[in-house]
Amino acid sequence: MTVFKAFLKILDKNKFIVIMYTVFLISFGGFNMQTSDNNTNFVASKPNIMIVNNDGYKGITKDLIKYIKDNSNIIKLNNNEDTINDGLFYRDVNYVIYIPKNYNNDFINGKNPKIDIKSTGDYKSSYAEMLLSRYIKVANVYQKSINNIDEIITKTNETLKKEIEVEIISKLDTNSLSKATFYYNFASYSILACLIYVICLVLSSFKDIKIQKRIIISSTDYKKINRQLLISNSLFSIVLWLLYVILSFILIKDVMFSYQGMIYLLNSLLFTMCATTIAIFIGNIVYNKDAINGIVNIIALGSSFLCGAFVPMEWLPDGVLKMAHLLPSYYYISSNETLKTLEVFNLDTMGPIIFNLLILIVYSLLFIILTNVVSKRKQKIG
Amino acid sequence: MFINNFKYSIKTLFRNKALIFWTFAFPIILGTFFNMAFSNIEKSEKLDIINIAIVNNDDFNNNVVYKTAFKDLSDKNNKDRIFKTHYTTEDKARKLLEDGKIVGYLKIINDEPKLTFIKNGFNGTIFKYVTEEITETSSMVKNISEEKIKKAIATGNYNIDYESIYDNVMNLIEDNNVRINNISSNNLSYTMIEFYSLIAMVCLYGGMLGVVAINQSLANMSNKGKRISVSPISKGKLILSSVLASYITELIGLALLFIYTIFVLKVDYGSRLGLDIVLALVGSLAGLSLGVAVASVFKSNEKAKIGMIISITMLGCFLSGMMGVQMKYVIDKNIAIINKINPASMITDGFYSLYYYDTLNRFIFDIGSLVIFASLLIGVSYISLRRQKYDSI
Amino acid sequence: MNIIEVKNLTKKYKKLKAVDDLSFEVRKGEILGLLGPNGSGKSTTINCLLSLLNFSSGSIKIFGEEMKPDSYDIKSKIGVVFQEVSVFEELTVYENIDYFCGLYITDNKTRKKYIEDAIKLVGLEDFKKFYPKKLSGGLLRRLNIACGIAHKPKLIFLDEPTVAVDPQSRNNILDGIKKLRNDGATIVYTTHYMEEVEILCDRVIILDKGKILATGTTDELKELAKIEEKIKVEVNDLDCKYIGEIKDFKNVDEVEYNWNMLLITYKKGKNNLFDIMEYLKKENIKYSKIFSERPTLNDVFLELTGKELRD
Repeated sequence: MTVFKAFLKILDKNKFIVIMYTVFLISFGGFNMQTSDNNTNFVASKPNIMIVNNDGYKGITKDLIKYIKDNSNIIKLNNNEDTINDGLFYRDVNYVIYIPKNYNNDFINGKNPKIDIKSTGDYKSSYAEMLLSRYIKVANVYQKSINNIDEIITKTNETLKKEIEVEIISKLDTNSLSKATFYYNFASYSILACLIYVICLVLSSFKDIKIQKRIIISSTDYKKINRQLLISNSLFSIVLWLLYVILSFILIKDVMFSYQGMIYLLNSLLFTMCATTIAIFIGNIVYNKDAINGIVNIIALGSSFLCGAFVPMEWLPDGVLKMAHLLPSYYYISSNETLKTLEVFNLDTMGPIIFNLLILIVYSLLFIILTNVVSKRKQKIG
Repeated sequence: MFINNFKYSIKTLFRNKALIFWTFAFPIILGTFFNMAFSNIEKSEKLDIINIAIVNNDDFNNNVVYKTAFKDLSDKNNKDRIFKTHYTTEDKARKLLEDGKIVGYLKIINDEPKLTFIKNGFNGTIFKYVTEEITETSSMVKNISEEKIKKAIATGNYNIDYESIYDNVMNLIEDNNVRINNISSNNLSYTMIEFYSLIAMVCLYGGMLGVVAINQSLANMSNKGKRISVSPISKGKLILSSVLASYITELIGLALLFIYTIFVLKVDYGSRLGLDIVLALVGSLAGLSLGVAVASVFKSNEKAKIGMIISITMLGCFLSGMMGVQMKYVIDKNIAIINKINPASMITDGFYSLYYYDTLNRFIFDIGSLVIFASLLIGVSYISLRRQKYDSI
Repeated sequence: MNIIEVKNLTKKYKKLKAVDDLSFEVRKGEILGLLGPNGSGKSTTINCLLSLLNFSSGSIKIFGEEMKPDSYDIKSKIGVVFQEVSVFEELTVYENIDYFCGLYITDNKTRKKYIEDAIKLVGLEDFKKFYPKKLSGGLLRRLNIACGIAHKPKLIFLDEPTVAVDPQSRNNILDGIKKLRNDGATIVYTTHYMEEVEILCDRVIILDKGKILATGTTDELKELAKIEEKIKVEVNDLDCKYIGEIKDFKNVDEVEYNWNMLLITYKKGKNNLFDIMEYLKKENIKYSKIFSERPTLNDVFLELTGKELRD
């Protein structure tokens, strides 16, 4: 009981840290969930296009604008180069089309006028450029063989109108699933950082107390203290995990009540367990309290960046991902990523997830063994 | 004396391991993480080769337009290649789709194409678009050829050379020069913002050095300060010398980060390196003045003050886009005032404007804002540092 | 000649008077002890003298001039050793002394010599390259002193320099202080260890609750205790009868008998020890030990305030 009380005291002193990482989780998680539509996940397929029309609103110019409007989200920014450049830089606009003066007339006269554009050079801008060039291509072809502008426009539209039958077979709510994945991926950072920080502080505080107690009381009690420490630490981990789980139920409840939700829970529980063993291991090799802060940041940020907690895994370079295979976070996060698109639950599709869960268990065991080896060696020396 | 104090201030700062970790090592480590995580984002934003499948039925094999078009677009030697195409049966195509190996598949029934996707997505949209274009081309060929044939018949020419009309039309379509001129300024690598805000972080972390320098010279903050206060040295001179030492230390850390980001991480600061350095000098002055103000105004221990500097810095960097560039844009667009008084944002924005704008208006505004920020804080610190005697220590 | 003259110094913290109407002087070449329990206002007085603290009223003159924060002439002749160890963790022993000495002495050659002198004085020759973290408590105190006196000041303030120091270091420190005085420095020494004051100080000021209770040489002060001598006898199972008889002895003020220890307090008289030994022999009382003590400053303090100097 004394150990537990002391644990609570130390935790109380450092509750600010736990609160901070939780706020991080909610604010970054929440923020990114809202912007995920146009940021990480291209659900909305229409590009954002801005049109700067220097020609009159007639003829082919009018029709081109109409065509672009029908196939994209038109963004209206001030026609000021700084504003436009900012918009492009931050991907508010993907593509800016500058329709030149006399475009309509020059087109009719077969001058094939040049159109200036600004582009972000990403997916969406490529699509915007396809839209534009497709229109011009078709219009150009008809312009060469037809003399009447109205007929050109009619024929062009008729050609462009060709729609293709499209079938979408998935019934998954991919949007909320990717929100859940984002949340749980980010949680890996908060869990790792919180656990390492708190557990290391507790262990290093107890090292001083332990030495005193060892002198005063018998050796059996020393083991008892260790056992109580382990229980207290595990209890803290579980409470932290529960806190994040409850938060996830509030933020993304429709996902959490599905089959996927259960796997998210299991996966994060195993990860929390693994993170606890890591924290205990580090607590056993690091004595300096000042150093803990630095170590927490390097390990938590490092794992999170390298394994894709912040930046989606599919965007990470292959070299980084290969390195990430050494880190437990990788297996946790890749299970989350798999869940995002997992539709059929059978041994075949669940295989990789089960493998990842097993790896997490193996890592936990590994760190427990390492901790024992290290502390035994320390006892011999001391 | 000035030099003696300066020399030892530098020595104490460099031997303070925690301080050096946060101001020297941590930014470099964080920068390396950024680089690892973000180096591919821009590349993956560009169009990849898209995996698709086509149902290899008779309808497809008999349709020359589709067959040649997809063959062309999937050709490894074509530099405009978009697709990697699996020709297979419908069942297998569906299996591939469900396993996530392809984004969608095409099936042609009676010359009408039909696409199947697992979900909405960008690559799917491209696939759909290309298929539509092929349909359009064949429709155009049909339209124009008919037109030509009609014309030929109208002129009484019954000896129509269909082959030549077809070639003619195809030439018309292929000889199509779409004149689009890209006038985007600079390349638009937005991950640079992350590195710019990293520099901003180091500038503001310099505040920690300021805190340490001031704290050890003030009698009401530390015992060393008491000892210094009873020595025959003007306080102003001493503080100036200590603060200068902090500034130099900060600049060394900053220089290391610049060198590391430029030569190892290949961060692009644009072509005006001189102005970049001016910005870094002013930015770190702003950070230092923040530290000096925090140290001289608040009466608490060094740890609490350093905690304050770290919190202010992290919040500032978050708002200026270190954890996601969109944040800066959202703030700039909606509550611009916040980032105008946020030194981290002014520093980030300064680098951004140097890199991205041709004009210097915005850069000058940023520098001006930082100078005002620094002078205000230095003024506040001056007032509270002027005190020579204390009511309690 | 007076090095320091303090008149009617008062320092209030809100309602509490930490220093209450203090007037005293420090004479050239003496070691003045400020003796008082913790919280009696010793450190506050010193901080006021050094112009670190604002004081409510009174005047302070050092070397004949009024002391102000920018009295750099005066400050250059003063050395201070504060109660708390105040050195840079990041600097070695040598560097610490060099830094603080450098605030006074700009000439490099002179400074080098002074630093060596200071290191020798406190006996840290073997630890020049050590960082403070590696020093024991006693050695750290010695470093603290070296930092305060390396520039060979004419006036030295030592604020409890021996708190929590091992006996060996304490002797070293006390010897060093004597040496400094012999080299011509004037010293103000605060402590709550009366033994140190008795060994070291020429004159003593006893402080309690911010007020001066008494001033004088140790001997002068001891007269205030109104006690001439204390005699302790270790004797088993003494009969009450004898205690009553001893009480009636000439000069005896008080007799106590606890834990087989007989304590007899005398107000005056010279041959008290001889008399009591004669009496014990005559009554055939066996005793294992007997010793005579002169009154201590603690007795003085007890007499003046009714409480012990140290709890």
